[in-house]
Amino acid sequence: MTDLAIPSDAADAPAAPPGDGECGCPDYVRAGLALSRRGVLGSATGLGALAAGVALAPTAQAATSLTFADSGYSGDTLVVLSFRGGFDGLSAVVPVAEAAYYAARPNIAVPASRTLALDSRFGLHPALAPLLPLYTSGKLAVVNSVGQPNPTRSHFTDMDEMERAAPGSSLRTGWLDRMVGATTTPGTFAGTAMGATSAPRSFLGPSVELALRSVDSFQLSGAGNATEVARWTTALRALHDGAADQYAVPAEAALGALATTTALKAAGYSPSGGASYPSGSLADALRDTARLVKAGVGLRAVTIDSGNWDMHADLGRSDGGWMHDQLTSVGKALAAFMTDLGSVADRVTLVTLSEFGRRVAENGSGGVDHGYGNVSFVLGGGVNGGKVYGAWPGLAPDQLLAGDLPATTDYRSVLGEILERRCGLTAGTVLPGLPSARLGVVRART
Amino acid sequence: MRPGAPRPRIIDDVPTDVPRRSSVLAALSAAVWALPADAEAVSTAAAAPTPAPPVEETKPLLSYDGAEPVAVTAPAAAVVDRAYPWQPPVRTTSRTTRQTSAASTLDPAVHLARRASWGATPDLVAQIRSMGRTAWVDAQLDPASIADQSTESLVAAQWPRLAMAIWEVRDAYWPSSTGDLGTDVIQAYVARALWSRRQLFEVMVDFWTNHLVVTAPWGDAWDAVHRYHIDVIRGHALGRYADLLVAAAQHPAMLNQLDNGSSTKRAPNENFGRELLELHTVGVGGGYPESDVLRSALVLTGLSTERESGEYLYRQIRHHRGRLSVLGWSDANDSAYGEQVATSYLTYLARHPKTAQRIATKLAVRFVSDDPPAALVDRLAQVYLDHDTRIAPVVRALLLSPEFAASAGQKTKRPLENMISTARTLGVQPGQDTKGWLAELVWSAKVAGQAPMGWPAPNGFPDVAAAWAGAGTTMASWNWHMAQGWEAMQTSTPRVAYPSFRTLLPDTLPATYGALVDALASRLLDGPLPTAKRDAVCAFLDKTAASTLKSTDPVLGWRLPYVVALVLDSPEFATR
Repeated sequence: MTDLAIPSDAADAPAAPPGDGECGCPDYVRAGLALSRRGVLGSATGLGALAAGVALAPTAQAATSLTFADSGYSGDTLVVLSFRGGFDGLSAVVPVAEAAYYAARPNIAVPASRTLALDSRFGLHPALAPLLPLYTSGKLAVVNSVGQPNPTRSHFTDMDEMERAAPGSSLRTGWLDRMVGATTTPGTFAGTAMGATSAPRSFLGPSVELALRSVDSFQLSGAGNATEVARWTTALRALHDGAADQYAVPAEAALGALATTTALKAAGYSPSGGASYPSGSLADALRDTARLVKAGVGLRAVTIDSGNWDMHADLGRSDGGWMHDQLTSVGKALAAFMTDLGSVADRVTLVTLSEFGRRVAENGSGGVDHGYGNVSFVLGGGVNGGKVYGAWPGLAPDQLLAGDLPATTDYRSVLGEILERRCGLTAGTVLPGLPSARLGVVRART
Repeated sequence: MRPGAPRPRIIDDVPTDVPRRSSVLAALSAAVWALPADAEAVSTAAAAPTPAPPVEETKPLLSYDGAEPVAVTAPAAAVVDRAYPWQPPVRTTSRTTRQTSAASTLDPAVHLARRASWGATPDLVAQIRSMGRTAWVDAQLDPASIADQSTESLVAAQWPRLAMAIWEVRDAYWPSSTGDLGTDVIQAYVARALWSRRQLFEVMVDFWTNHLVVTAPWGDAWDAVHRYHIDVIRGHALGRYADLLVAAAQHPAMLNQLDNGSSTKRAPNENFGRELLELHTVGVGGGYPESDVLRSALVLTGLSTERESGEYLYRQIRHHRGRLSVLGWSDANDSAYGEQVATSYLTYLARHPKTAQRIATKLAVRFVSDDPPAALVDRLAQVYLDHDTRIAPVVRALLLSPEFAASAGQKTKRPLENMISTARTLGVQPGQDTKGWLAELVWSAKVAGQAPMGWPAPNGFPDVAAAWAGAGTTMASWNWHMAQGWEAMQTSTPRVAYPSFRTLLPDTLPATYGALVDALASRLLDGPLPTAKRDAVCAFLDKTAASTLKSTDPVLGWRLPYVVALVLDSPEFATR
């Protein structure tokens, strides 16, 4: 339908100007401060007040059958880990062979000698050491110079566009909403925003998603034990019996999810394989993801957010500081996730995204401003790992795009390949206008 | 960020909620995801129901017994197909927004109270009955005529910083704001929704907050969002839309939110120029070509802020000069001081028939149904144009229309409204830690997916039931209902003041559990529950409807908040 097409004179419009990455950077205020300490403190207060009134859940109910056949979907659980704020791929996957990298970052470059070699061109940041065995064993792939078609270098615009994933159209739904809805009968957990009170842009649209702060916190606060859960469930079902769908459907979904989370909570959870998750919200969300994958509750798409990547200043050194600390958490959490999943990882594919990369040259504050091309990690049992994918443009000044690493791989090509080979979907349905190029990052599901 | 400026230390263990839309969930409603052109198609496709005559105010209270669901008027699947060329082929049909029950038997005073406020209360319904609906609407549309000193005093005492000018906020907090002003304005907005006697005004404040969107507390407008809310939204909520639009376009909060503050003639930022057309005025189906977006942005160049103070500043050096035409508007635009040109353009757009249609549609969706009758929308659009974009006459025509009278039961409360209306019907009043309690309310609404003023996209929270039909949203509302009982009855020092829950029951104790549940439902739901549901509530208490109620029974003591919460969990309470 023509209303959805961008009119042909769109080409007349000038390119969007880059956002002001320095000096008063409004985006910085937004994305940086948006990591609300205050909000979380407020939440803790509120929950404390609630918890005071809740009787502790007794051991009563053991985990009963938690196998929910997802008749409409037989693909991998797709986990999308979003690094919010603009991930500096050049710190994580260091272009050790590029003199221009070391020239551009005299204070914050990761010395080649400290990196963990991926191939002759690239080395992993030492804080990501827990990922090296996964790379070596072929479960982790790196895709370099990834980006989206029309970067604005604005956090919000680029996140929005990345999660809409339909450039050149006026489609307002998110790509994971389209993914979850691409086949029949998505269940309560089909699209889950893990560790979140609300779902990201990518889930915007008609399919129902579940924002799950944590498995253990999804509780009906009036029902402190299994007996009370049953009492409430019976009464609430009766109150919604025959109600219009806008009441009955979410009530049934809530009660269904409650049955699952109550049983899971009662059963407790011990990660498998000696997996040791670090503390932190990322690790907590990955742990709950592994828990639900193993419980077989019908996860199709899971989103997890990792914040605090907007490092305009004081990025730190390779042996300590902001970036080092953040990457340490990421490396440990992802390694624990894979250990915990064990062979179940064959049914899981995780991909990392970020709205943009960072400028090649460091700024006067020991940080890096908003840039463009970036790194994506692809992790899982079906990954053709142990390789750095993507055409590498080089970092010499004349190879850069306004000071930034160009993007040679459209991130949707990576997603499209995962949707086709791991999720068993028609990628073009989920990602309209998807480029045809494929890198071979994942294997076809067997 | 300036070199050397301190970087806010943000620990890792903090969830980012940067770019979240809230848990907007299931929606088959094309009105949410479709473009306005499709929405028009939807309206047209929907057969306009025959307006029922206005119902007299002496009708009996609502009964939920025997109500027939109204059939879906538009084929949802066809709508979806039109809206999404790439729509996945299979779509569950179970989520159509079936109109709910009960409708025409609802007492018209109750109906008006639910729709034109943040939640019906016995006092409000009594007030509407005693004044008559028309007189009540007229009084509400003239909010200055309604004394509301206690709310004003509360706001002034609890959130004194809201009086700060933008430059004062910057002076005090830049560059390490903690978002306090945003938090303040959110809490004040919720407090007014709860306690103001100017309820219809507060509903309209919410309406415009979700139309000319500036996000709080974290966002580009951290230093200005409070003044935007007070001076722009509250200042014009029942005034002329043209004035509201111009005020928004000259406010630092909007200029920063949509990047016009940094737009220049050499590097125009199209964000505001586009959203002005697409969201604020004519809508994406408004008939403008993509090239109009650039021209729209060029008209607006110059509307900016002063770098140090953050206050509004017209920057002549940034303004694009030379004739510009957009959507039938044209101006020679030959002066660098283009502020009047921008005002002329904004006023033209406000008066555009497509804008009238768009605003009339949104108002009808807010007050009448998720899929309002086209004839009503057309009439309201004409009222809007006839009154030079004045809002109050449109709202008046809407609330007194036969379509409104016939629409009882057709709207669903959004989560924030569900939570606020809970507190309103329970009679919560400010107490010793009102702010702490409001912070919990805001947090609960956020868990439900509707952080007040927290919608990160420029188009505002949707107001159709399908957008909120999610498990987490529902659970959060249920948990809020229960939390009130605990705060009221199990906390030695509640942060706000609750009337005793015992006062929710008649002075003379009902003889049976069935009569007890009936009484509770009449008080909280404006009418009795159907028999099967009443029996289910009795069963929840391990009783039958015929069981004798004794004054020493737990249901009159520690169990009362549980059964109150259960009744509030019903679809009847979730209906707007």
